[in-house]
Order: sequence, then C-alpha cells, then structure tokens
Amino acid sequence: MSIVTELLARHQERLSGFPAPLGQQFEAGLRSLAGRLTPSQLQAWAETGMELTALSLRSWEAAVEYFKAGSAYPPQATWDTIETVGRDALQMAAESAPLAVAFLRAAPAAIGTVGPGNVHAWAELGRRLYKGNWKSSSLAAQFYEVTPELFRVLRIGQASRLIIFVDELARHSYELASACLAAAPAVLGRLEEDDRLPFVTFATELAQSSWADSRLYFDRGVPLLEKVHAPLRERFLLLAAQSARGHHQRSAFQYFEDAANALGELEPTDHQQVIMLAEQLAPYSPFAAMDFLTVMPTVLGRIRIDELEAWQQAGLRILQTSTEGGEAYFRLQSTRAEDILENLSARVELSRVGEVLRLYCKALTGRNVSIQTAESLAEKGIGWVDEHRASTDGTTIFLPELMERFPSKDDNFAAMKVFATHQAAHIEFGSFTFEFDRPGAIFPTRRHAFMRDRERPATTDMEAFFDLFPDRQLASDLFTIAEDARIDARVKDEYGGIRRQLVRMQAEELERRPPVEALPLRNAFVENLVRASLDGFHLVRWPRDRADTMSRALGILAAVQRPGATVEDAAEAALALYELAISIPNILEDLDPADWDAVEPMEPGQAMPMDAAGEGGAQGSQAQLGGGAEGEEEYESPQEIDFRGDFKPELVDLLMKLRENAQGGQAGQQQTMPLTPEQLAELLAKSVEIDLDAMDEGDLDASTGMFLSNLMKEAGTPASEKGEQGGQPTSDNSTGEGEGEEPLKPVVTVYYYDEWDFRAQDYKPRWCAVKEAKLEEGDEGFYEKALHEHAGLVAQTRKQFELMKPEMFRKIKRLPDGEDFDLDSAIEWMVEKRAGANPTEKIYWRRNKIERDVAVAFLIDMSASTDEEINKRDKKYDDDDYDDDPRKYLSWWVSKRRQELTSPPKRIIDLEKESTVLLMTALETIGDQYGIYGFSGYGRDNVEFFVIKDFDETLDEKIKHRLDKITPIRSTRMGPAIRHATYKLMQTDAKVKILFLLSDGRPQDHGYGRDRTEKEYAIHDTKQALNEAKREGITPFALTVDRAGHDYLKTMCEDMGYEVVADIESLPSRLPTLYRRLTE
Amino acid sequence: MAENGSVQGATIYAVEEYSVHEEPYYLPIGDEVQLFETAYRQRIPVLLKGPTGAGKTRFVEYMAYRLGRPMMKISSRTGEEVEHRMPLITVACHEDLTASDLVGRYLLDTDGTRWVDGPLTRAVKVGAICYLDEVVEARKDTTVLIHPLTDYRRLLPIEKLGQVIEAAEGFLLVISYNPGYQSALKDLKHSTRQRFIAIEFNYPPREAEAQIIAHESGCDERTAMDLARLGEKVRNLKEHGLGEGVSTRLLVYAGRLIAEGIPPRRACQVAITWALTDDSEVQRSIEEVVTSIFE
Repeated sequence: MSIVTELLARHQERLSGFPAPLGQQFEAGLRSLAGRLTPSQLQAWAETGMELTALSLRSWEAAVEYFKAGSAYPPQATWDTIETVGRDALQMAAESAPLAVAFLRAAPAAIGTVGPGNVHAWAELGRRLYKGNWKSSSLAAQFYEVTPELFRVLRIGQASRLIIFVDELARHSYELASACLAAAPAVLGRLEEDDRLPFVTFATELAQSSWADSRLYFDRGVPLLEKVHAPLRERFLLLAAQSARGHHQRSAFQYFEDAANALGELEPTDHQQVIMLAEQLAPYSPFAAMDFLTVMPTVLGRIRIDELEAWQQAGLRILQTSTEGGEAYFRLQSTRAEDILENLSARVELSRVGEVLRLYCKALTGRNVSIQTAESLAEKGIGWVDEHRASTDGTTIFLPELMERFPSKDDNFAAMKVFATHQAAHIEFGSFTFEFDRPGAIFPTRRHAFMRDRERPATTDMEAFFDLFPDRQLASDLFTIAEDARIDARVKDEYGGIRRQLVRMQAEELERRPPVEALPLRNAFVENLVRASLDGFHLVRWPRDRADTMSRALGILAAVQRPGATVEDAAEAALALYELAISIPNILEDLDPADWDAVEPMEPGQAMPMDAAGEGGAQGSQAQLGGGAEGEEEYESPQEIDFRGDFKPELVDLLMKLRENAQGGQAGQQQTMPLTPEQLAELLAKSVEIDLDAMDEGDLDASTGMFLSNLMKEAGTPASEKGEQGGQPTSDNSTGEGEGEEPLKPVVTVYYYDEWDFRAQDYKPRWCAVKEAKLEEGDEGFYEKALHEHAGLVAQTRKQFELMKPEMFRKIKRLPDGEDFDLDSAIEWMVEKRAGANPTEKIYWRRNKIERDVAVAFLIDMSASTDEEINKRDKKYDDDDYDDDPRKYLSWWVSKRRQELTSPPKRIIDLEKESTVLLMTALETIGDQYGIYGFSGYGRDNVEFFVIKDFDETLDEKIKHRLDKITPIRSTRMGPAIRHATYKLMQTDAKVKILFLLSDGRPQDHGYGRDRTEKEYAIHDTKQALNEAKREGITPFALTVDRAGHDYLKTMCEDMGYEVVADIESLPSRLPTLYRRLTE
Repeated sequence: MAENGSVQGATIYAVEEYSVHEEPYYLPIGDEVQLFETAYRQRIPVLLKGPTGAGKTRFVEYMAYRLGRPMMKISSRTGEEVEHRMPLITVACHEDLTASDLVGRYLLDTDGTRWVDGPLTRAVKVGAICYLDEVVEARKDTTVLIHPLTDYRRLLPIEKLGQVIEAAEGFLLVISYNPGYQSALKDLKHSTRQRFIAIEFNYPPREAEAQIIAHESGCDERTAMDLARLGEKVRNLKEHGLGEGVSTRLLVYAGRLIAEGIPPRRACQVAITWALTDDSEVQRSIEEVVTSIFE
C-alpha cells in the first residue's frame, strides 16, 4: 500500500466530519507531493494539515488552502520550505483563520518571487500587520495577496521597511494603510531601484509625523521626485526624511513638495551642489536644509551657483549659534539673508537703487521726475510695449528692472546709471520741448519750406514736423539718431565723470552692430549714421563711388554734436539727412567688399544745405520731400541701441499736451483747445511710434479705443508726487484719488514694515502690510454728547492745561550771565566780598524761553476685546454698595436697575473714545500738534491703520464725526501700528515727539507668534517697535486698562513709561493728567 | 577804551574799531551794489535775504569797504594821523540773544559795577554799519531796539541807564535773514520787515559762480565750471532730504581742496556730500552726481 493510500485511510475518519472539498484537496495534495517528499515528510505534511483543522471552528478553511497549496508548490520548494509554510500557517491559524487562508493561498506563488529561503521572513511580515482584530487581519491578508506584484519591485529587506511603514500607518487608519499598500507596487515600480528604499524610509518618517499626508505622498511623490536629478534622488529623500523627524508647523510632505518643485526649476546640473550644501545644514536643522532647497530658485535668480556657498556659509554660521535665526535666514525671512544676498549678487535691482537714481535724475534735470520700471510703462498700454528698454514719458524715467550684464555690481550699477543719465538728459537738454517755429542754433531753418496745406492745425509740434515726411518711419529713425547723437554729445560735454562709462557702452554697442555691407543701400546709410552717432565714425563703410552723400551726412551729424545744438537743430539735421537718404535707392548693390570704404565727414558748414528754402518758398511753389520708390527693398529700422532705450518724442509731446490740458482745465485757464478723440485717433494712425498690433491682438478699433482711454487716464492724473515722501516705507496707492466730485471709497495707502523675530534675532523684511485709510464718518452727536457728559471734567482739564501756558517764560536766577542783576544774589556777593570771602559770580537772572513744541500721536487699540462691557468686568464688585440690610434690598435693586436702563452699559472702547475727546479739547487749548489713529486688523497682510485725525488736519466736523466710528474690529498687531505711527511722527518737525499707546491688553494677532496663545513673539516685536521709536527720538508711553498689564508691560516697555489704569472709569480724567505730566 | 593789540599773532580790535582793510572780492550779480550805496546815502536800513553761503556777509564787507572810500584821515587822541575806514560791526544772532546783549549791561568790578556798551550801542555811537546776521534767531525783545533805530528817529534807548542815544551820522542797520530754513514760527514780523528795503540774494548763475569759485579757491577754470555745475545740480535736490542747497562757500572749499591736489571726487565728498547731509540715500545720490561730473 502506497504511503498515499495509507495516509488517506488514516485520516479518512477525521476528514469525514468536514465539507467535501477538504478531503478532495487533501488527496490532490498528497498525490502531488508524493513524488517529491519522503514518506516521513509526507506524513509530517499530512499531520500538520490535520492539526490545522483542529485549531478552531473555521480553521478547516485554512486546512483546505494548505492542502490545495500542496499541489501548487513550485519545483524549487524543498521540504524545508514546505515545512516552514506549514509551521507558519499553524501559528497564524491559531490566531486567525482568514489570515492563514490568505497566507496559504499566496504561499506557493510567493516561494517563487520571495525565494525559498525568505518564506518565513515573508510570513512574518504579514503577521506583523495582524493585531488580533478584523481590520488588521484583512490588511495582513491584503499583503499576502499583493505579494507577487510587490516582490517584483522589492526585495525582502525593502519589503520589511514597507511593512514598517504600513504598520505605522495602520495605527492611525486602516483604510489609508490599505490604500497605500495597494498602491505600493505601482508607485515603487516607477522608481529607480536605488530610490525605492529611501522612498519608503521617508514614507515611514512621514507616517510618524504627519500620517495623513501619506496619501498625498503616494499620489504625488513620484512625479515630484522625478524633478530631482536622478542620481541625487536618494540623497534628497534622506534629507526629507530628516525633516520629518522633527516637529514643526509645516508637514514634512509640504517641505518635500516645495523643495522638489524648487529643484525642478533649477538646472539639473546644479542639483549636486545645491543638495550637497543642504546636507551640510541638515545636522543643525533639517528644516533649514529643506527651506534652503525651496528658496533656491529665488536665490539663484540673484547670484551665481559658484557664489551660493558663500551665502550658505554665512547662514550656516548663524544656524550654528541660533536655530531660529538660521531657519529664518534660509526661509529668506531675515534681513541679514537679504543683505548678504544683495552683497553677493552682482546684479542691480531697480527697486534697490531706484531712490538714489530718482534723486540723481532730479538733481540732473531739476524736476520732480520719478523712476519706475519699464514694465510698468508697458502695462499702462499707452504706446510703449517693450518691458525691458529704458524710456521716459517726460515726467517719469522708466528703467529696466534688473541689470546683470556685467559680472561686477559696480559695472552693473554704472550701466544702470548710464541708462538713467541718457533718459534724464533727454529731459534736461530739451528733447521734448521741440517747437516747430523756433529756429535752431546751428542750422538754418528749412522745415517751413516743406509744409503742406493741412486740413486742420497739427495737434503737437512734433506731429507737424513728422507730417512733412512721406516716409514717417525713416524720418522718425533719422530724428532719433540725430537727437540721440546730440544728447550723448551733450552728456559727454557736461558730465566728464560719466564719459568713460558712456564711451564704453558706445563701444559695446558698436561691436554688436550688424555688418553694413550686407544691407540694402538706404538701410546701410542709416546704419552708418547709427555708428557715427555712437562715435564710430571710423567704422562707417560705404560704397566708394557714392562717398559724397555719406560724407555730407556724417558732416551733418557731426554738427549736431556740437555744444550749442538744440532739439530744433536735430530736427533740421533729420530733414537734411532724409533728403540724402531718399536720394539713395534702397537696393542691394552687387559690390565687392573692397568697394566699401571708410568715409571722412565733410566740414559741417559745407555739408548742410545752407540755402534756407531752396527754390521753394519765395516762388510760392512748395519744396517736396520724396518717399521710397517702387522696386526697392523694404526700408527697415536700424537695430536698437540698448542704453538709449525707447525714444518716442511724438508720443511724449502728445502726452505732455494732454497733461497740460488736464491741468490747465483744473486751474481754470483756457489756454489750449481740448483735443478731440478724432484728432487723437488720426494722430495714432499716423504715428510710427505706436504699434497698436503689438499692444494687443484683437481688432484695431478696440485697441485704439483702449489706447485712447489709457492715454487720457494717464494724462488726466497730473504727474504725481505721491509716494515721493520716500522714507523706508514704500507706499503704493491701491486706489487712485478721485476727481473730487463724488465721495469715493476711502483711499487706502499701503506701507510695508519689517517685523522683529526675537528667536532669529533678526528682522523679517517687508513682513507687514499696513493699510492706512481715513476712518469713516459716523454720527455727529457723539462729540458733543461726550463733552456734555463730562462737562465738569472738561472745564477742569482745560484749566489745568491753560495753567501750563505762562510757564513758557520762566525767570532763571543765579546765572553767570544774564539780562540783569538778581538783587538778592548781588547783595550776597557784595556782603561776601566785603567780608573777604570769595563770592560766586552767578548773580544774573534771565528769562528762559521754554518753547513748547510738541507733537503727539495717539494710537488707539480697536481690537475686538475692547467690546467688553465694563460692568461685566466688575460683576463681582457689583454688590459692594449693598449694605446687607435685607429691608433695603428691594429699593437698592430697583435703583440699580433703573440706572442700568437709563444709561446702557459702557464698553472699554466707549471710555477710550470719551477720553480721547477730553484730551483733544485739552490739546486744542495748549496748541500741541496731534494725530489720532486707531489700529486693528487680521494677519500680517492686513494691519488696518485708521486715521481719525492726521497731524496736518485741523479739528473740524469731519473729524468729530470720525470719532464716533471708533469701534472694536479685530486683532491687535501692535508692532507695525507703532512703526507706522513712528513714521507719521517723523514727518512732523516738532522738538518733542510723543507716541501714546492706548490699549486694553497684550498684542495678539493671527501669525503673531507660533500660535495664538504664544505671547513672547508679539511682545518682543512690540518692544522692538517701541525701541525703534525711541531711537528716533520719540518718547513712547503705553497706557493700558488691562489689569494683567503689569506682566507684559514690564517686558514690553522696560525703561519706557507705562501705566496700568486699574479703575477703568477713571480713564477720562487720567489720560489728560498723564499727558500733562509727560510733557511738562 | 581802545584795546587794539596783538596777541600771539592774532590782531585784536575793539568792535567799533574793526574795519575792512583790504578790498574783499565780490562779484556783483545784479544792481545790488548800486542799491546798497543809494540806501546808505539815504540811510534806509537794508534787509539781505537769501540762503546760507550765498554771499550776504561778503557783500556787507564789500560795501563797508567801498563806502569807506575815499578814506578819511582823522587824528586820534594821541595826535597821530590814522586812517579812518567805515567801521563794520557784525553780530551773529542766536536764539538766546537778548536786547541787553546788544545794548550793554553792568559788569562787576572791584568796587561795584561798571556799565559796558553792547555792540549795537557802540555802532550807534561811532556811526558804523551794524550788521545783525540771521536776525530772526534773536529774541523778540530785540525788536524793541530795532524799531526806533530804523525809522526817522534813529534813536537807541538805553533803559537801564535812562539814556537815549541819537545815532551818529554814519550809522546804518543791516540785517540778514534766510527765508529757507526758518520755520513759519520764526518769521520776521511785518512791523519789523517793513522798516527795511530788501535785497534778495540767490546763488549766482553758473558762469558767475564758476568765476567766483575760480577766484576764491585758485582752482583752474574747468574745475571751477564743473563745481558750479555740480552746485546747480545739487541745488535741484533742495527740499528732498536737503534743507538747503549747497552754498557757494562749500563749492569754494571743494575748489581749494582740489587746487591743493586732493582728487576732485574725494574733495567733493568731504566738502559737499558729507557736509550737506547725513542721510545715506541722499549722500549716495549726490555722490552719483559728483561721479557723473568729475572723473
């Protein structure tokens, strides 16, 4: 009897108690294994199966799978392996039958993928996930099920890391764990072999720190990782994993995502260096390392990769001493980081040098020019389209935002300066003051001879001039060359210091010119003029047989460069050059390069046609200027010259005219005829300076209309002086000022201030946006009512303040020198002298003038907490005046109630308001300058600063109405409010400046500290702001009605004055008293 | 009373005996010389208006010199013939300057007190030109003195002595004031103002200024021209971080440094840029103008 039959028979009885498949599978398994196992092994196998059936009620299902596996083992499965499977199955089935089922179902195939030697380890991985409940069991089962796919991409060691991750995740969410497990084969399959383990490692760290992001990581991680240069992905993941180990506000995935995206913006070749530098930071702060990667696109936008290490080293030194400081540095939230970056960077940013250049141009031109980016000019949509070329509209100079053409900062700045100088020179030397009828200083006036009959008078003189020419483009180009040549010559003449840089720029431009020999003749002619205008007379090349024309032209150009030349001379030169140019056919002549030769300029006197009107004028027949002829090459404008930028005389002339109209209209002067839209439209159609197509794709009419309205808008707002007050805050008006006919929305001006981060011991640059606006006007009754209510106090305060006045002249005695003898001292002196003692010489008196020159800014806290009712605060003291006599209780209660009904409970803000009113009357008495401001807001981007009364406003009805509108709003971000009040105070010229802060509690705001409960950050920033004020010579004083105020005010104000008003009701009387003390 | 003498090389004069010995250099820009001479003949007090360093003081000195010619020879107490020139008493006013500082006061002496005349009294007595520089700075009680002296009376009351002095023949009051930087509070009162004819001083035009700079500093004409150009440009920045434009005086200083061999850019830096302002941004801007003009 074969062992098979024997075993079947032996277990027959036992199996009969179970459903049929068990027996069938047992037999099939036996038969299949019989060939590869010894009888004893086979017997052991069968015994294990029998054991399985006996373990629990449903363990027979596991036994079925066990037997089924018997017929599925791959050839490489040895007895050892099979035995291991059996042992593991037994253990599992003891815990959970379904788990064992899943295991056994997967086992035969797994032996192939995992390798026979790893079967036990593999089984253990699944068991690890099993925690004794249903969900864990199905998760473990899922693991066994995905085994084939999983092990196609993972080795056993890697898989165990994955299981650690899944296990960790399962502690939080089985659904998520299951989803990640299911996705794992596909996700990991997309990665390079070497990156899989680090990928899983980071996942594990992520599961521990912010498990919910795991799904995002599995969804988006791979494409993100692919942005990193392939050989460096592993190192990048390790960095990310380190950042997950620490606890931080931002999740590790966020860091990973930001850093990966940032790297994606860099050149892959730079990744090596960048990641290497980040790795140096990681030991000190992995967050700094990740932030470092994240800011790379910004940083490398400003410095070169080889300068990066210097920047990183400077930050590293900070990081080593202060983690907070270093982290802020690498977040670029630190002034030091910005400064070092700026120093390292060779490029020059207009935003940084704009103010210097503005004053420079103002000095040169003597006008209030402002400086803006060329981009902003292009955005205006008024004819300028190039965002990178310098230009001017006559009142503003537009410069490129960045200058980075040279490796050194000085050179870049010098280049920027040359750009600015050229534009300023256009204004200084009158490029835009062309008058058609004014003769030039050098050339005879010939332009009148070419005038044709007009349907209507020209709108601008520049238009009248260009109307002379059939080919406006050619005329415009020639005028530009002549005028630019004149301007450059003037600059060289007047400004010896900048000459060298200018010459250098010219030389550089000359090198970039296209080969003249390849151009059609007329183009070549113009090109030669450009060269000559750049002082490149030696680079002029021209066909020898036509030399005369060119020589004459060069002579004309040379004349324009003489010191006395005016813009009218440039116009005459353009006219003469036009005549010459038009006489040259624009054809490509088949010439040998040797036929092109240098040309000597003719003597200017000879070059210019001296006869004013030629044969025209006198005889009444008009001189004619020709245009381009048939059969020639199309004329093309010469290549642009960078430092000269965009010169649009016709447009500027028009703009100035429009501005004049707008301003003239305002002043009530009727000096010019208003322009009609038709006139404008015609002008636009003619002018070659405006390329409507380039401005806007779309139909011409629409863009013309848009252009016109833009132009009118630009001209309607007179050259603004706004934002010129300079100072450290940059202000930009987000809503323009209205024309005055309708009460528009309040004008909001935005100022930016730094914020002090005490942890980093550094400022966060331009961190807070303070939005300044006038407070709305409320009811009129409030002011009078408050005065009425406190009538007694008002009178008293006034009297007190009036008493301060006579003190302005005080007699000071015992001075060594003065107006007259002080009799007492003089007698003493005599007595002592006679007595032989040595008397003091101080026997004079003089009146000392104490001039009161005080400016005070009141800063009122309008945070939500001021909404609190005062009575409520004092609830516990409420019964104080009840004298415990039960008989009187009712009458006491009735009177109390009546009182409450007649006067509604007061809030803190009401008292703040009333106190302000009182103080204002006092201040009016004494004549101090004062401003009253309220502040509130939410978050750093929105610090609201309300102007109730500005320093330069006088107390009128409007302001009284505004007072009523002081209401509780939102949070208390004190720092920026104090900084802005400081700025306001600095605008006054008083000798004594006081900043009076009136609040009801500690500073607090969203993002003002690590979280809302943290106090230190806000207090330190406020303290720093107060210190800054002090440094500016301002006396800060804080007054709070918060009883807990002593705690933080001690830190915040340190050596500055502060007071806690314990009894809030006394605020109205206390405030003026305090103020008087402060200024006496 | 005369205490003329010489101590360690410096010459000491009593205030009323000081006069301008050598002709000061002054380049007339308009008709101011003629106006002043006429005013002096008519004994009309003169108010000189203008920014600092525009040449007000130099002008007064120049006029004092001119008016002193032809020099009268008078015999002094010792019988020697000495030259008589137009005495010029200059008082720089400051905010603590009181009437007694101008009129005089009692000083202590071994045996009691002694009256000492103030500079104004001395000028009134000897008939000098009394020049009150930056007069608005002085205390308001000084106007009490100025008023009777500047109308037909030409009297100086000395309250403490109970005296009134009639001004000597040659006496003329000249005051100066700078409308630029004084605040509105410190404006000259109209009752004071309207006792003077006012001559306005401004910075000279570029060519004239260059001539002055060249003369005063000894630098070459080209440098002088560049300095004058610089002055013009920097003055455009007035009211933009700069309270006052650069004065001719500073330009002359720069010129002197350059004439002595200091490189022009450096000379302008110390004499102009740093002298004018502490605001680093404005300094930088001026520096850029300097480097544009000077190599």
